[in-house]
Amino acid sequence: MRFFSFHLMPYPSLPADYDGPAWVTCPNELFDPAVGTRIYNEYLDQLVLAEDLGFDGVCINEHHQNAYGLMPSPNLMASILARQTQRVKIAVVGNALPLYNPPTRVAEEFAMIDCISGGRLIAGMVVGGGPEYYSFSMNPAHAREMFQEAHDLIKRAWTEPGPFEFYGKHYKLRYVNSWPKPVQKPHPEIWIPGVGSLETMEFVARNHYAYMGIPYFHISVFERTFRMFREACGREGYDADPLQMGWLEPIYVAESDEQARREYEDHFFYFVKRLLPGINIQPPGYTSLRSYQNILKGAGSFAINLQTWDEVVEGAYAIVGSPATVAEKLAENLHRLGTGNLLGLMQLGTLPDHLTRKSLGLFASEVMPKLRAEFPVAVPV
Amino acid sequence: MGALVEDVVASGVGKIQVWRGGSGDPVVYLHSANGEAAGSVMLEQLADRFQVVVPMFPGFGESEGIEHIEDIEDAAVHLLDLLDAVGLEAPAVVGTSLGGWMAAEVASRWPARVSRLVLINPAGLHIDGAPIKEIFGRDLAELAADLFADPSNPVAQLMNQMSALGEKDLAEVPFEVLRPTLQALQATAKVAWNPYLHDPKLLRRLGKITAPTLVVHGSADRLIPAVHAATFVASIPGARRAEVEGGGHLVPLEQPSVVADLIAEHVGR
Repeated sequence: MRFFSFHLMPYPSLPADYDGPAWVTCPNELFDPAVGTRIYNEYLDQLVLAEDLGFDGVCINEHHQNAYGLMPSPNLMASILARQTQRVKIAVVGNALPLYNPPTRVAEEFAMIDCISGGRLIAGMVVGGGPEYYSFSMNPAHAREMFQEAHDLIKRAWTEPGPFEFYGKHYKLRYVNSWPKPVQKPHPEIWIPGVGSLETMEFVARNHYAYMGIPYFHISVFERTFRMFREACGREGYDADPLQMGWLEPIYVAESDEQARREYEDHFFYFVKRLLPGINIQPPGYTSLRSYQNILKGAGSFAINLQTWDEVVEGAYAIVGSPATVAEKLAENLHRLGTGNLLGLMQLGTLPDHLTRKSLGLFASEVMPKLRAEFPVAVPV
Repeated sequence: MGALVEDVVASGVGKIQVWRGGSGDPVVYLHSANGEAAGSVMLEQLADRFQVVVPMFPGFGESEGIEHIEDIEDAAVHLLDLLDAVGLEAPAVVGTSLGGWMAAEVASRWPARVSRLVLINPAGLHIDGAPIKEIFGRDLAELAADLFADPSNPVAQLMNQMSALGEKDLAEVPFEVLRPTLQALQATAKVAWNPYLHDPKLLRRLGKITAPTLVVHGSADRLIPAVHAATFVASIPGARRAEVEGGGHLVPLEQPSVVADLIAEHVGR
């Protein structure tokens, strides 16, 4: 098992009387730069702490024009982490490829991070969330093919000698010749997050990349998702390696079950009720109808519909409790899902710095060792 | 009133579903993003006097080929192909909203291929300070209020019912019920996402239109500000404007007889 500490860098200070979406049209007059200064630094320190505590990696991601995650440029954060950490993998999960034009920009910036960190980058590539297609006025009907083309371009920029011409439908570049190039050969490990789109799973399986299940659904949805991913790998003629799968899950550890819930519940529901609204918008053409049909099956169990703590516990929307409880529940679900990467969302919503740090510490000292013993690191295929 | 009959023709992009009815002078109707065609009272009334031809745009109804259409230029070229495919040299062309935009594109690019032009609450322009309201990702009840002046219209009622469904309920709706709407939205997004429901080059081409033109405007259209209709009228040589009192954006669905009479009067001149 590889353990990652994932950060969304949420905005914790939406006013109590604001009940609109946290995405696309959430008024930016609600953003307080003084809060920004405080939380960016706290959040970065929490990721650096994860290295000190023995995590294998840290994860950050990209979102735009929203209060849910304040990282329009995860590469800026990754470059800071490349300097402030020495050992951990830095997983940028990912760059929303269609939002970079030309996407050689991603090849360049990822290569910079890989060089600065001495080969510790995990290169995540995403289509971008549905809301981003509103925020960027990008045509969602072109999303998949732009992603595909950008991916091909980036991979070629990393692996083929330049200069070469790239002539695609969306990108027409006469001189592709990226400086710098990544340290890791042939290229950094590539992760692709997904919410259950069949095309995405088939793409990941075909390329032997790793598939990261996007959270905030009932655990049964993850089970179905990873089963489908394994089937997709099977159709490609191989068994999925556990390291090809990652489960992203909100986790909170405290001294006892009762204390954990008491310290965590309000912060979790700020996340669910204030930061999630607007995230699940599906612009037309963003997914194929085949995939949309599959995604709809899980829609009813999306966390935004949660009303009670019992539902949170029952569906494993978050794993919360004493070290013993958290270790037991994580082990049970990791066996069930078969994933070799655990991406713990260790801070979310309004969870304050001191509680986040306390939970990180308890997780690292009392949960991680048990899980490492139960799930020895598999050797990558 | 003559019901429309289904036909299929081959165009450059694939098989296109075409609804036909009536006889006499040809009138081609280009539907809105709502995809109104068979069962339209307005079209059936027109079919009493004219040969009515209603091609479904790729992605709508049973029409294929949306994968070959990337933008409004491809849409216009497709419609030119289609006029050839149905053997009409210079029919009257009528379009509503999205279809009105497409009609204006065809008439301004190939003026000789359109003998009469009727634009009903057309999209197609960007006017500073007078944006067309959002059609994508809206709550369906809110969108219905922008599309219909009359909330009792059956399509508005259906949109209100859909809006009331939660995500759990939506997951229970048979996918085949949702599919036509989702496909139509995807097709619309392909040509209309950005630039949003307009072609920045259309305005300066409107002067090339030679067909006698009628712009029909619903006085209660809440989706497209009235200055759009006024700009079409001012920019197309000799264009006239007809105001439909109390008509919403989808006025052909709300006041079919009034609009059919306006079209018939203009085309029959």
